[in-house]
Amino acid sequence: MNGVMALMRIVRAAFYGTLAVISVAALIGVGIFFIAIQDLPRVPEPLSRIIETPPTEIFAATGERLMVIGGREVIPLSEVSTRFTQAILATEDHRFWEHHGVDKARTIKALWVTLFRPGRIEGASTISQQLSKNLFFSFKRSYMRKLRELLVAIQIESQYSKGEILEAYLNQISMGVGANGVEQAARTFFGRPASELTLSQAALLAGLPKAPTLYNPYFHLDRAKKRQHVVLSRMEAVGYITHDQAQSSFQDELTLQPPSRVARTGSYFLDLVINGLEEQYGPEVVYHGGLKVTTTIDPQLQSMAEESLRGGLSGLDRMLGIDEGADRSLGSEAVCPQGALVAVETNSGAVKAMVGGRSYVETEYNRAIKSNRLPGSSFKPFLYYTAFEKLGLNPATVYVDRPVSIPVKGAPDWEPNNFGLTHEGPMILKQALMKSVNSIAAQLVERTGPKDVIATAHRCGITSKLDPVYSVALGTSGVSPLEMASAFACFANGGIRHEPFWIWRVEDALGRVLEEHIISGERVLDGSITYQLVDLMRGVVDAGTGSVIRRMGFTLPAAGKTGTTDGYYDAWFTGFTPTLCTSVWVGYDRGQGLRDTRGTGITGARAAAPIWADFMRKATEGDPPREFMIPPDIYFKMVDPITAMEATTYTPHPIKVALRQGQEIQEHTMGEEGLSDPEAGAMPSYGLAF
Amino acid sequence: MDFSKPQNFREWASRVFALRPMVLILLIFGIVISELRFDWVEQMLGAYLVATNTQRPESGSIWEVGHRTVTARQTLERLITDRQSTQREARGADTLTQIISSLPPGQGVMLSSEHFRRLYMALPGTLAQEVVAPFELLRLLSDGRWVRTYLENEDYGLKIYLLNNENRVLRDLRIPTQLLYQIERVELALQGTLDDLPTFESRIYPAERFFRALNSLPDEDLRSVISQPEKLLGIAGRIVRVGISDEAVSGYIDLGFEIEDGTRRKVILIKGREWAVWILRSYLEKMYPDTQKSLGSEEIGD
Repeated sequence: MNGVMALMRIVRAAFYGTLAVISVAALIGVGIFFIAIQDLPRVPEPLSRIIETPPTEIFAATGERLMVIGGREVIPLSEVSTRFTQAILATEDHRFWEHHGVDKARTIKALWVTLFRPGRIEGASTISQQLSKNLFFSFKRSYMRKLRELLVAIQIESQYSKGEILEAYLNQISMGVGANGVEQAARTFFGRPASELTLSQAALLAGLPKAPTLYNPYFHLDRAKKRQHVVLSRMEAVGYITHDQAQSSFQDELTLQPPSRVARTGSYFLDLVINGLEEQYGPEVVYHGGLKVTTTIDPQLQSMAEESLRGGLSGLDRMLGIDEGADRSLGSEAVCPQGALVAVETNSGAVKAMVGGRSYVETEYNRAIKSNRLPGSSFKPFLYYTAFEKLGLNPATVYVDRPVSIPVKGAPDWEPNNFGLTHEGPMILKQALMKSVNSIAAQLVERTGPKDVIATAHRCGITSKLDPVYSVALGTSGVSPLEMASAFACFANGGIRHEPFWIWRVEDALGRVLEEHIISGERVLDGSITYQLVDLMRGVVDAGTGSVIRRMGFTLPAAGKTGTTDGYYDAWFTGFTPTLCTSVWVGYDRGQGLRDTRGTGITGARAAAPIWADFMRKATEGDPPREFMIPPDIYFKMVDPITAMEATTYTPHPIKVALRQGQEIQEHTMGEEGLSDPEAGAMPSYGLAF
Repeated sequence: MDFSKPQNFREWASRVFALRPMVLILLIFGIVISELRFDWVEQMLGAYLVATNTQRPESGSIWEVGHRTVTARQTLERLITDRQSTQREARGADTLTQIISSLPPGQGVMLSSEHFRRLYMALPGTLAQEVVAPFELLRLLSDGRWVRTYLENEDYGLKIYLLNNENRVLRDLRIPTQLLYQIERVELALQGTLDDLPTFESRIYPAERFFRALNSLPDEDLRSVISQPEKLLGIAGRIVRVGISDEAVSGYIDLGFEIEDGTRRKVILIKGREWAVWILRSYLEKMYPDTQKSLGSEEIGD
């Protein structure tokens, strides 16, 4: 009896205790409610306001849309495939049509799991709650944020119909790779409108919102397929589809739309464009103003450039003995060499292709414009032009390749070496550039002085600071690939310089023009001397250090110059046809030279020129051979490359040189007489450059 | 209600299963089940929140985006409005000087080739020649590639680009500030007399003598001294004296025409070709050797 009495006492205490707890909880709940609603955000009316931000669109020169920033492609619910709607509802909120913003059963279950199953957290957010979170709240986790999110969801449910809520949700949902909303996602991944999604496609897309990067089918198709299976199972469990449908849809082969050639979340060129726009108009206008930006890029060339650089770097990896499966946990820059390529239209300065590194995903650092790397011998054309202009030399002037020692005020003598550490004796200047002879370049810069060489480089468009030392002529001051491409384009263009540019036109959302580029060239070099230089550089490609280009099958008239720096830190090739100028740089980001498995240094001719040739061969495929414009006062002579005497049938390996009217072939114009010129300042000793 | 301690089980049972506690329990269950079934708590909360919606702040990411969009639109609108107003003014301009005065530093304006041709033709012949040779414009017009003209107000003056339909520059022209100044001064009227302008101090001639000497020049030289005499004809008042400046700038010399208009005097400055003005001066000196020096206003009407 006493036991029963005791039990009854407990029951009574529990009953009144529960009542008290409920009352107190209700009171606290009311208090918290009033605290929570204090800063509760206002819900916009109509809800479609969420789509009012116009997108900024970036187009290629060909009119192809490369990228959309912000904004959304909004469609009514009726234009969304029923299968997709079902897939989303089954996965995210299968009681969507029944609850009023909160799925209490699911919430209780989630609470139970979270509280009593350590290490597991189960979500119970309804579609309205997710919409509320996406529209108003940060992703910072806190109980108060969760409560506010819930209250706004409840309000949204009271204010709008289920259809309106679902439509808003489907149009703002993020599915990765810059696709916001179902329409954009359907077009991005499958190249079709959301109304035409099949069951398997709908299931794949519906699985993405949970973790768009983790399930990105472009990079992790296996994960995306697993997630698709989960979605199909959920649809089956909810009763939207049968088991057979789920099975057959899972077996369906998914054909993903290839990612647009340049339209990726990351692209070096697009970064450059966006940064430029931000500087000009401010981030708010760029991200919320709905600009229409037409750029100079040619998607086809861009794709070729990426392919050529990727292929060239893979080949280089093999030379360096880097396995494809090398541990890249430290980032590829620590393991693999990097590269950059810039292609510029010679007669306008328009950047047609730009690759700033091996992979944008791995490193966003744009080496094409930001890195200042020593150009080595690829800087010599500026020296030769200066020597022709200032000293009146010509391609047939004979200099002697010999050990040189140039006194430098306040520093040890400068004694640059040739690449092969040997000397060949007398040779004409064309031959000297073709073979990239450092000792002759040193003799020339001693006579011209470094300041004039720098001035020539600046006239051509090099903007980086160049040190006024003799060795600058051998490329000991850093420049970027964009600068090199732009400056060499000036040679290709007969001495007329065009500023490089990448934005043709900027318009607002209504098509009103904000800016447009005017192609204005400025003559900065003498046309005839420039042609002589171009002829020298043709020699480099045809029979000099860049002849790998011809061996690789590039047959169009072209000129260029290789470049490699001490320790093989940088390998360059910059060259051009009459219409397109391309600069390629290859090297490690820091502290490492390019040496193959046998320890031999890798030069510009081995590392960069093949990439150039591969790209240019594709880029100019089908183009007719087009010669460089020959100025009227230029004439050609075949000469002996050693003596510069007019070639006869007995002359071995004669060379054709371009001379200006009034320039005669000199029999022996030795350079020694000019060696006493004491100009120029102190400089460190830089030995090897070729 | 009996709050005394129940003495036995029967009493316990009767109290527990009494009507009041049973009703209370049923009421609580009813509330809970009806909430689970009809979501009335959410509906009440929702209704309250909807009612108070307008009093709450426009905060949260969607509103921030909205505010940024508004700011972006305003910024763009301002940029477009500025550009359009400059463009409108430029398109309504009849002279190059009007365009120059409407262009803020660093800004530019796009005109049709036709409009630029009109502006060019409105320039005094001698100055037009300085800007670009008419034959050059004829050549560009005849090959049909020149479609637009971009004028930009730069530090050193005005830069003019004649463009084809790809925005490629066919010809660029620079008009230095000095020349702009001259263009502006073509119609410049200064209040006062020639005596107020020191550069004319030693070469002021009665109008009648000046024009007599001018008329004795060959036609070509005469046009080089005064390229647009109709501008002078169009000015109200009577020319009483003419001065020749002692400063030559870019091959031009200022001629000052002192005009009497009622009780007021003003000076119109016009540019003459330096070589032609020198010829005129030598004529004046030959014809009127006594007027080597300035003639005072009392000598007017000699």
